Amino acid sequence: MAIFNAYVKKMAEYVEGMRGKGRQVREFDCPGDPGKLLEELPVRVGPEASSGIILRGDTFVELGNPDVGSCAFLLWTDNPSLVGDGKITLIGPNIQESEGASLPFGQVLMVRGAGLGKEEHSALEQNQYIADQIEGYMLKSTSERMWGRVSKDAATKGFDFDTLGKALMAIFKTAVPKVQAMEAIFVTSDKEDVRHLDNIAEQVRKISKDITRETWLARGYDILECTLGWDCNTCSDKPVCDEIREVITVRKKKIRKTKTSSNQ
Amino acid sequence: MALIDKHPELARYITEQGWFEFLREQTLAMIEIPEMQLQVKTLDSLLKMYGRILDAVENDKPFVSSYYCLAPELYTAMDLPYYMVMQTPFLASSVPYLLTDIDAAEEMGLGNDLCTAIRLSIYYVEANLSPLPTCALNLLYPCDGAPLLHEVIKRNERWRNIPMFACDPPYYSDERSLDYFADEMRKMAKFVETNTGAKLDMDKLKETLEYSNQMFQLWDEYNQLRRNVPSPHGWGIGAPQCFSQAWVYEAGTPQGVEWFKKLVEIAELNVKNGVGPVPEEKIRLFWFDLLPFGWVFEFLPWLEEEWGAVMVMDMFGNFPYTMIDTSSEEEIWRGLAKRNLFDAPMVRQARGVADNFANDIARIVKDFKIDAVVWPGHMGHKDGAATVGIMRETCRDLSVPFVHLGLDLFDKRYSTPDQIKDKMSQFFRAMGLG
Repeated sequence: MAIFNAYVKKMAEYVEGMRGKGRQVREFDCPGDPGKLLEELPVRVGPEASSGIILRGDTFVELGNPDVGSCAFLLWTDNPSLVGDGKITLIGPNIQESEGASLPFGQVLMVRGAGLGKEEHSALEQNQYIADQIEGYMLKSTSERMWGRVSKDAATKGFDFDTLGKALMAIFKTAVPKVQAMEAIFVTSDKEDVRHLDNIAEQVRKISKDITRETWLARGYDILECTLGWDCNTCSDKPVCDEIREVITVRKKKIRKTKTSSNQ
Repeated sequence: MALIDKHPELARYITEQGWFEFLREQTLAMIEIPEMQLQVKTLDSLLKMYGRILDAVENDKPFVSSYYCLAPELYTAMDLPYYMVMQTPFLASSVPYLLTDIDAAEEMGLGNDLCTAIRLSIYYVEANLSPLPTCALNLLYPCDGAPLLHEVIKRNERWRNIPMFACDPPYYSDERSLDYFADEMRKMAKFVETNTGAKLDMDKLKETLEYSNQMFQLWDEYNQLRRNVPSPHGWGIGAPQCFSQAWVYEAGTPQGVEWFKKLVEIAELNVKNGVGPVPEEKIRLFWFDLLPFGWVFEFLPWLEEEWGAVMVMDMFGNFPYTMIDTSSEEEIWRGLAKRNLFDAPMVRQARGVADNFANDIARIVKDFKIDAVVWPGHMGHKDGAATVGIMRETCRDLSVPFVHLGLDLFDKRYSTPDQIKDKMSQFFRAMGLG
């Protein structure tokens, strides 16, 4: 499915744009097989690999504090020409270079798989939030934001963005078997660079919401317009909703007309 | 002339103040327990609020009635006393006259199908048991009951000449809605200025919000600690106290910041020492609503003692908050709009789209290693009752047991604590928990 293809292309442009701005861009390649990905890692990955929390005093580096900026989203496609496998791109400083710092954090995950569709969307979205699955890496439980910590212990063991990318690839490929290939882009260079990602993220979130709505509709629930969870065709309030929609249409037309005439 | 003779509407308020002073004395006896030091400070904050309202009435100073989700930092910045119209039901675990009040509300003709928190609040206004404010800020959301309370207040003979304002809430949570609600909050602040004579100094508001941000950041830190196994705290301390400090009694004050610092310190120590509220934590619960304030002591200790079931997270402890950007006036209002309309507990879930019910469950279950989700099914939360199907399906997707109880969070006669204990026990047994 091509829903996110345009945004995958935008990400390629974004990375080139960052190179053009003179940002430090590093690329790491890694194996595609989840088993091999895990073999190379300095920390444990998988359910209950960590307690899920890192205390303030044990923190080596903080990522995505709201003061310095955070943005994360996920794109999926079935087009092999758009997403390769095992490529990790880091724009900005790495973990080891940032002891005691609070870095801005952008994370864009791009996954590909034949037959990957809207049915997998929710699982893919949820897998971004790793909970207790990576030793020495914590994502705070706050909605709408990717805000993390890397522990001193993990940093000593060699945890860096290469590790994080590989760990995420292993988690995704294990949890959603349809994922055949995956790329990760991490941005830690600058608040503005992360904010620039928000322009893409905003569009992606809108599409994501539409997919979520469609998925729930298929299960019999309309999560956006009706909290009753009933089928419109059997709902006694249908005439009321129909009338409201008509009023909204009339009102929108009126607003458009007013705007058009005031612009003339 | 005694204050109470001149202002009979304060009779209950003064009794309540005395009750909380008594509770404070009782809590002081356990002061060597670190958590009890926090409870005492919470009661101090509460009593300070009572004192400020009584002082305002006695000395003819302005004060407002409002709600937690109407930017309480504004009143702190304006140095204006405020109280929550719906306060007493939320304090129900501590007040001894709750059931009598519920009966009195029913005798007054208020339908017992109406949310008990709304019903009680209507009763307190109609029975002249709420302080008469200089101006009143009301709510048109998140549920149908809130505007009903607003209508009653508007028509009450003692209240109807009090200037009133209610922000108009948009349905969606997009940028357009955010800008719209930010404007509503601006209008609200202007209304308070006009009707109380207090002035809103933007520099003072900025300072207040920076304290508020610190409080919320520390609250977030605390919440992360509750992800630990065992959770450093259960139902006894957590959401209700955090909520009351950040949203009601100490919104944007240095005292509030200190309170949260202490809370985080205590919880960190518990995490390091592997200490939790029970000797062996067996079940980690997500209670997706308010605590059952009317019978909290008859039920929640039992969950911990009988089943080792710890309430790791609940609706009011959940942390979806965004820090408010204080770099410009524009951002301040947008930040206030977001926090108060999109993030505030219950408003977040009950107003607007049902998506938040599903998303909050999915994230909390995963992050907090939840073993079971409890939708208490409070008789007043009809908005949530309509989304039970969505919650149940979400839990099925996550393979986490879900139970819908059916109770009244304030009236223990609706479903008795024994009935609820029985339901919970059957649920735990059937799911192989505990």
